Amino acid sequence: MLCFQITICFDTERCLQPLKNLANNKIAMKYNGSTENQRLVDLLDDALARETRLWKAPVFKNGRIQGTDISQFQYEDVVLWLDKLSRLLKFCPETYALGVDILNRLLATVKAQPKYLRCIAITSLILAAKVNEEDEVIASVKDLAVRSGCNFSTAEILRMERIILDKLHWDLYTATAIDFIHIFHALVMSGHPHLPHLCTQKKPCLQVAPWTRQVQHCMACHQLSQFKGSTLALAIITLELERLTPDWFSVFTDLLKKAQIASTELICCREMVDEYLDSLEFSVPPNAVYILDTASIMNFGTRDPDLGSGKTWPRADRPRKPDRAKAGRGEGEADEFYDGFRCLYNEGMVVEVGDDSTRGFGEAYQGVSPCPPLQPPVS
Amino acid sequence: MQNLRQAATEAFHRLGLKQRHLGYEELSDLEDSNFSSEPQPHWFHTLQVRRLRVQRSRSNSDPLGGKSFEQEFQWKTGLQFGTATSYLNLEKLGEGAYATVYKGISRINGHLVALKVIRMKTEEGVPFTAIREASLLKGLKHANIVLLHDIIHTRESLTFVFEYVQTDLAQYMTQHPGGLHSHNVRIFMFQLLRGLSYIHGRRILHRDLKPQNLLISYLGELKLADFGLARSKSIPSQTYSSEVVTLWYRPPDVLLGSTDYSTALDIWGAGCIFIEMLQGAPAFPGVTDVFEQLQKIWAVLGVPTEDTWPGVSELPNFKPEWFLPCEPQLFRNVWKRLGQLPYKTEDLAQQLLRGAPRDRISAQDALQHPYFNTLPPPLMHLRDTVSVFKVPGVRLEAEARDIFSPGRRIRPSLAPLTKCW
Repeated sequence: MLCFQITICFDTERCLQPLKNLANNKIAMKYNGSTENQRLVDLLDDALARETRLWKAPVFKNGRIQGTDISQFQYEDVVLWLDKLSRLLKFCPETYALGVDILNRLLATVKAQPKYLRCIAITSLILAAKVNEEDEVIASVKDLAVRSGCNFSTAEILRMERIILDKLHWDLYTATAIDFIHIFHALVMSGHPHLPHLCTQKKPCLQVAPWTRQVQHCMACHQLSQFKGSTLALAIITLELERLTPDWFSVFTDLLKKAQIASTELICCREMVDEYLDSLEFSVPPNAVYILDTASIMNFGTRDPDLGSGKTWPRADRPRKPDRAKAGRGEGEADEFYDGFRCLYNEGMVVEVGDDSTRGFGEAYQGVSPCPPLQPPVS
Repeated sequence: MQNLRQAATEAFHRLGLKQRHLGYEELSDLEDSNFSSEPQPHWFHTLQVRRLRVQRSRSNSDPLGGKSFEQEFQWKTGLQFGTATSYLNLEKLGEGAYATVYKGISRINGHLVALKVIRMKTEEGVPFTAIREASLLKGLKHANIVLLHDIIHTRESLTFVFEYVQTDLAQYMTQHPGGLHSHNVRIFMFQLLRGLSYIHGRRILHRDLKPQNLLISYLGELKLADFGLARSKSIPSQTYSSEVVTLWYRPPDVLLGSTDYSTALDIWGAGCIFIEMLQGAPAFPGVTDVFEQLQKIWAVLGVPTEDTWPGVSELPNFKPEWFLPCEPQLFRNVWKRLGQLPYKTEDLAQQLLRGAPRDRISAQDALQHPYFNTLPPPLMHLRDTVSVFKVPGVRLEAEARDIFSPGRRIRPSLAPLTKCW
């Protein structure tokens, strides 16, 4: 009996460090059973409860955050800036994700002026770092302000810190998309131990690091900011699972059930993530000619084709998957698993028939200006 | 004691409260000439007798803790949470690295509170310890975690308002030297592991477990406090600061420079506290440098090898040639009290104090250990927010020795205040 207890404990520690060492994980999986899985499910439930309690996103209306003069481009710009800043300061991805989460919650709570947007953003990141990073990693506020290149004084940042803490009731500790990536990853690994064997030696797959990068990219898209972290994480993971194994659908439904996410919302998010990440795979040069992808208009409505100040998009750390893109349109060889998915998809769309550009978003996303991912010309 | 009474009296005076035979009534006029400014010791004496079941020392006067008593007086209305004027300082309780703690009283509802006044650095804003403590505690609601009532944040100062808990485990052990009653150790240990299981299930590490951070109420409720060093733990291991746990309660893997520790960090601390409660003296005491601390641990566990602890040789500070050769000892030979108790006590201690972090039992599994079999079964199914003392039959036993009530078994001269015997 005692030996058994020790084993469980032993495995918990191992399993909580997924794929750090594949060999270790295999040992863990050999012994762990429902107990370990139950712990992960409990962890997921707790994270979901926290997310439900705290998650909030600014509502975009007519290209601006509702009630403010902050445009969606300014918003995306500032989130990209946080990403850059977070890497410059060597913060971990969790800190960046938490910073964006704090920023979103604040923008959804108060009416902010565009001139304060960067101040709110950098203060959100500083707060996230204070929660998440070791103190030796956190630079002084003054140093941080200088290195970020923003023109705010320490006093301004500290005043903003007080405002954010007050408005968010000091309730900063939440579960972000990065946290969900880790939890879902551990669930996939412990619940479906055969999956890692599908990976070929050439391509690393089912790994947290590339998923984390994808989350970071997606957080800078204002439409994707409308989805909860759990939905975004699951969308990213299922996109890779689909590429990897014909058996992905069973894994997907299993996770969907555990995560209590509405399938329509997930499908919508998945499609958007797919298009968005595809669009990032090209580094867009300034003055590029944009070609509207009519297929995607069907799904996403229209968007002002001004893509901002011709910024260079970071390249997504994502393996190409042209096969899915074609199969994904549903023509030609009909994959039976895809059919299953499409059934689900249609089921979701039936409710929202109509030409309104917000269809598929549900009530919560009324007034969102969804963008079709613009495809740069493929030369 | 006189000081406390004086302070409390002054506080009540400032509150504008007038003492009556059975309680207090609200005064409309603060300058009421009938109000006596002299301390009235008998008020508190009477209340103490009424409230306290376990007779204890320091700050145990809990004149306002009981509900029945609260109903007998009203408080000023119109006061709000979040403002400094809603609380009054009574006395200083202690001073920490980044805050000073006062005993206080809420003018809103008359509850005793602990006011943690945090020093603010003008250049850095709110200290990260304060942000962590508040944001973590906001999401934690558990009978064995200290409750954060309110936050008062102004430009110049920051005060956290906690529930008031009478004493802490360090003081409790000082008051009852020579090891605690084995029944009480079991109840304290169960509550400690229950609190740890709760936070570990939420990916939170405490990282600073020590008797001073375990608050003990007059009933015997144990509450984890001081989450200033705690942090949320992502599932993959990350680089954590290795300067976090007080040396005596620090596990060998962290002493050896490991930074990818996890929940097992807190479990080692719990094991050390378990031994300290039984033995009446710290498990691995009295040293200030990491090397000596490791030597103390090896003297009990033996110097680890790759066989007993796979991976140990890769830890940054592992230099086996520096250590005196030590063989593993039976715990009962090192800590004599274990030999006088059933074997399962020693077995639990052994499972908590394993060198290799992966071998240490989890808090959740430890709660299922046969050591706790003698506790009433309903304890295992309590809701998070329910105290173990709500279960019929759960109560503390009187400790064998009490330096503040020396009449029973020992004379004061035989009870030194220091913990060295």
